[in-house]
Amino acid sequence: MIRAPLVKALGALGSPTHQIASRAVRTSAVLAQTPAKAPEKIEVFVDDIPVMVLPGTTVLQAAAEVGVEIPRFCYHERLAVAGNCRMCLVEVEKSPKPVAACAMPVMKGWRIKTNSDLTRKAREGVMEFLLMNHPLDCPICDQGGECDLQDQAMAFGSDRSRFTDINYTGKRAVEDKDIGPLVKTVMTRCIHCTRCVRFASEIAGVDDLGTTGRGNDMQIGTYVEKLFLTELSGNVIDLCPVGALTNKPYSFVARPWEIRKVESIDVLDAVGSNIIVSTRTNEVLRILPRENEDVNEEWLADKSRFACDGLKRQRLVAPMVRMPNGELQAVEWEGALIAVAKALKNAKGQIAGIAGQLADVEAMVALKDLVNRLDGNQLVTEQDFIKGSGIDVRSSYLLNSTIAGLEQADAVLLVGTNPRYEAPLVNTRLRKAYVHNELQIASIGPKIDLSYQHDNLGADPNLVKDICNGSHAFSKVLEGAKKPAIIIGVDVLERPDGAAIHATIAEYCQKLKKPDWNPFNVLHNSASQVGAFDVGYQPGVQAVLQSQPKVLFLLNADAGKVSRDQLPKDCFVVYIGSHGDNGASIADAVLPGAAYTEKQAIYVNTEGRPQQTLPGVSPPGMAREDWKILRALSEVVGKPLTYDNLDGLRARLESVAPHLTRLGELQPASGSDSVAKPSISISSSPIDVKQKELRDYFMTDAISRASPTMAKCISAVNKQQRLDEAQQCAAI
Amino acid sequence: MAGREAVKRAVQQVRPILSVDREEARKRALNLYKAWYRQIPYVVMEYDIPMSVEQCRSKLRDEFVKHRQVTDIRVIDMLVIKGQMELKETVEIWKQKGHIMRYWKESQDPKPTDFLSKFIQGVN
Repeated sequence: MIRAPLVKALGALGSPTHQIASRAVRTSAVLAQTPAKAPEKIEVFVDDIPVMVLPGTTVLQAAAEVGVEIPRFCYHERLAVAGNCRMCLVEVEKSPKPVAACAMPVMKGWRIKTNSDLTRKAREGVMEFLLMNHPLDCPICDQGGECDLQDQAMAFGSDRSRFTDINYTGKRAVEDKDIGPLVKTVMTRCIHCTRCVRFASEIAGVDDLGTTGRGNDMQIGTYVEKLFLTELSGNVIDLCPVGALTNKPYSFVARPWEIRKVESIDVLDAVGSNIIVSTRTNEVLRILPRENEDVNEEWLADKSRFACDGLKRQRLVAPMVRMPNGELQAVEWEGALIAVAKALKNAKGQIAGIAGQLADVEAMVALKDLVNRLDGNQLVTEQDFIKGSGIDVRSSYLLNSTIAGLEQADAVLLVGTNPRYEAPLVNTRLRKAYVHNELQIASIGPKIDLSYQHDNLGADPNLVKDICNGSHAFSKVLEGAKKPAIIIGVDVLERPDGAAIHATIAEYCQKLKKPDWNPFNVLHNSASQVGAFDVGYQPGVQAVLQSQPKVLFLLNADAGKVSRDQLPKDCFVVYIGSHGDNGASIADAVLPGAAYTEKQAIYVNTEGRPQQTLPGVSPPGMAREDWKILRALSEVVGKPLTYDNLDGLRARLESVAPHLTRLGELQPASGSDSVAKPSISISSSPIDVKQKELRDYFMTDAISRASPTMAKCISAVNKQQRLDEAQQCAAI
Repeated sequence: MAGREAVKRAVQQVRPILSVDREEARKRALNLYKAWYRQIPYVVMEYDIPMSVEQCRSKLRDEFVKHRQVTDIRVIDMLVIKGQMELKETVEIWKQKGHIMRYWKESQDPKPTDFLSKFIQGVN
């Protein structure tokens, strides 16, 4: 059994989004873009089955097209072809030697034999050589059970080895490397497929990994002792076909056949990566990426992958009410609900709600319905956005070019955003376009490392005006591009002149617009934001603070934008959420909610794609799903909400915003042609971004702040920086 | 026309289970009651239950009174048959102590049905 599913290989051929596997193929792809005649298909035979393929197709891809999977270790469809493992050797008729299927383009009329004696013998030989130096430590290896080498040794290997260690020298042994708190290395197990090296340099854009030595002495590593620190480092664990690179926090925790896998959605950034949550005994053990070409391909950012241990720390497990002495006291649900209901009755409609970063659409709709039934109407998101009519048109707050679409862009302007840390998987798309599509990128904001080359135009916001009226040099690039895109970070729109910047860019984008391409993009960094706007929440907490509410609901609002002294003295703060963080610390009543691995809930990502999480484990202690808390509360207050199961709530969702229940589908947002001119003009204070360096990336929400692994990452980054500084001093 | 009438009558006529009239059904029920009544002292002794003979007899009466509104002869017959099966199982000691004590377990909390009580118990 080969792990890599066949459809992947087929997809590599079929989808235009990643036609590029190597430089060689790439040039042919670029040539193919010129409107010359379409290349003629050629016929080849795989195990005597005829198949028509484009010239330049490799033997492996041609075989995949007829459903024959050729074993491989080094080949990966999203990485450049290396051709060094030799596992994919197949016989081609009239060829004197077997050919490496992953690297050899097919010729007309070739007869490829994937199961002949010669092929099988070649595979057995390769397998024998690999196992000569591979330790037999499968019983204590973390990859055991999901190891390509194990599986392929069973399927294609010989039944015995001719190797006897006549000199008693033992197998090759390699020192383990310390490459950080996330990836554990056992380098003796390495089979030198160089997938990790290629991933680091091609996808992550960090040339830290490499090979040293030749032949039997070859080693993968960083050469000098250095940590492999990127926001995508976890992906090398998935790529490694053996147990050389494994998940450090997950090491010696579970075997793949013991765990239950639940397909879910990540909510720690606004990309909405598809994930698989592995659970056992009601505990989340690890998170793996799930393939979705439109969102995350098959990668996953480190925070999404490794912050899952934060789901076990700092959890709220019982309802709490603040006692007269100022302490939070754990109570039963009846007591907590009655205390909140009493406050709600006394509030007489002066009720407000703030939805935070991790709030799901269902809970937000339930909160909105509850507050509206009690004659309140102040419902806002914690993350600010532009004021006024900014969110009336859906396309004005979405990533309209779509995440997958961005890799076709040929000119991109980043305004006050650092996609590398705000949305790492959007950044990989930009990098892919940069590498394969000659994408030109410029940024307005502080100087940052985006893992690819870009022009930093400066941090002056008036540059936006210059570009948008066509007087800047980069305007020519944008106007000449086939698919230009401007990406605005949400931190910029939080500024007092955010509306002016937004309007200026929106107006310019009307000019850049193509029939099937909307260049206007907003890159959000909180998973709840687009969903909140879709169901009618207003941006920013200022409106709530001004209205001086008697009761304030904090729905997962943990960013610390609201403090106790901004609120009136008699304001009763109710926190609904999963973690004891900023929100719970200022609350008068804490109602424990479920985290994203514990509920079935819809989140809308930054491009406007609704996707749902599924529960892998049950909420801890007395915690309940968020919308149920609000439903129960509404009954205690005496104004029960009309739905009492998820189907009812989803029906309500559909009536609020029909697109929300079409899960996984992207509804194109129609843009309006008129752009309202705001009264304020762009100020001159420089544009800044919040996440500048890797250390800013790891802790951005309640879950990752509670995660010990994320804390280790930050201290590892700090340690690396101290080492670098010390070395620089020594060099001087 | 006449044929259809005949069919209708035939369909309306139900086949009796045991008893053909009300009086017979009553006799069967009384016989079952008497059989249980006589068996109760042995049940108390053999099963070693923490109940007196009087308590058992009042429970026996309760069980019969529970169905006093039943008028359908077929239903009465079916209840009598079930009662006989219970009795047989009791007499032959096919039951155990817990099965007998289950007659007094009516006070168990019923499962919550409305949203709020389900929420508080955490079962929804």
